[in-house]
Amino acid sequence: MILLTLSTYAVGKLGYSGVIVVLFLLLTALIKGSFIIRDFMELKDVSFIWRAIMYGWLWTVCLVIAVTYCINL
Amino acid sequence: MPTAITNIEPIEPKLLPGDLAIWLFIFMELLVFGIFFIVYAVMRIQNIELFNHYQLTLNRELGAANTLLLITSSYFVVRAVKAIRVDNVKNCIYWLYAALAGGAGFLILKSLEYVDKFSAGITLSTNTFYMFYLSLTMFHFLHVILGMVILFAIAIKAKRGAYSAQNHIGVETGASYWHMVDLVWIILFPLVYIIR
Repeated sequence: MILLTLSTYAVGKLGYSGVIVVLFLLLTALIKGSFIIRDFMELKDVSFIWRAIMYGWLWTVCLVIAVTYCINL
Repeated sequence: MPTAITNIEPIEPKLLPGDLAIWLFIFMELLVFGIFFIVYAVMRIQNIELFNHYQLTLNRELGAANTLLLITSSYFVVRAVKAIRVDNVKNCIYWLYAALAGGAGFLILKSLEYVDKFSAGITLSTNTFYMFYLSLTMFHFLHVILGMVILFAIAIKAKRGAYSAQNHIGVETGASYWHMVDLVWIILFPLVYIIR
């Protein structure tokens, strides 16, 4: 997660933009978020409904952000 | 031909760690932050140049450092939960204090950022971008403070012997809330500081 954070920072520092960059940044956020939900929050083996709510929130937010950013590029 | 008959019991899903009430609170908090993020992204469509211009005035170094602090702090809370599950109260308290130090570091860096912006005369009414930047990050800032109050209360209770390997639902409850604070920042940082 530290490496993913540093890669996010590096992309910002270098000033990259574009569809691929937006998708890469959201993918890193998605991976980090999934780690937190699965391993830190320990939702790996809980009932499907709880995992669906948490992962559903993460995916919905990232997808809407991706769509709003990519339609303008 | 003999056949092996085995009694395979279905695996029951685990219960949510911590109190159910905190999870309902977490879901509501995530809903509010989620709406906030989506509104930010939609509003940006109408003000792309303004958002792109003023985003460059934010301190990405402090933003990245704060992300690392929150992730590390969250990991320390994981260790605190693991420690109490094996009845190691002393280590649980140490890990909770370490997590609190991470949270304090976050608050200090964020405050430095705010001082810099406020001293430049930037307020909520400066423009749409700063309105979102200040309100989103300050709303999250308040959650970090609340999370630290919860972790501190748990550390004090643990010191008084309130938790053990058999009874540690309070530690799991506080931990779940702290991870939610971390999860929200994981989206907030790239959205407000980086993506353009």
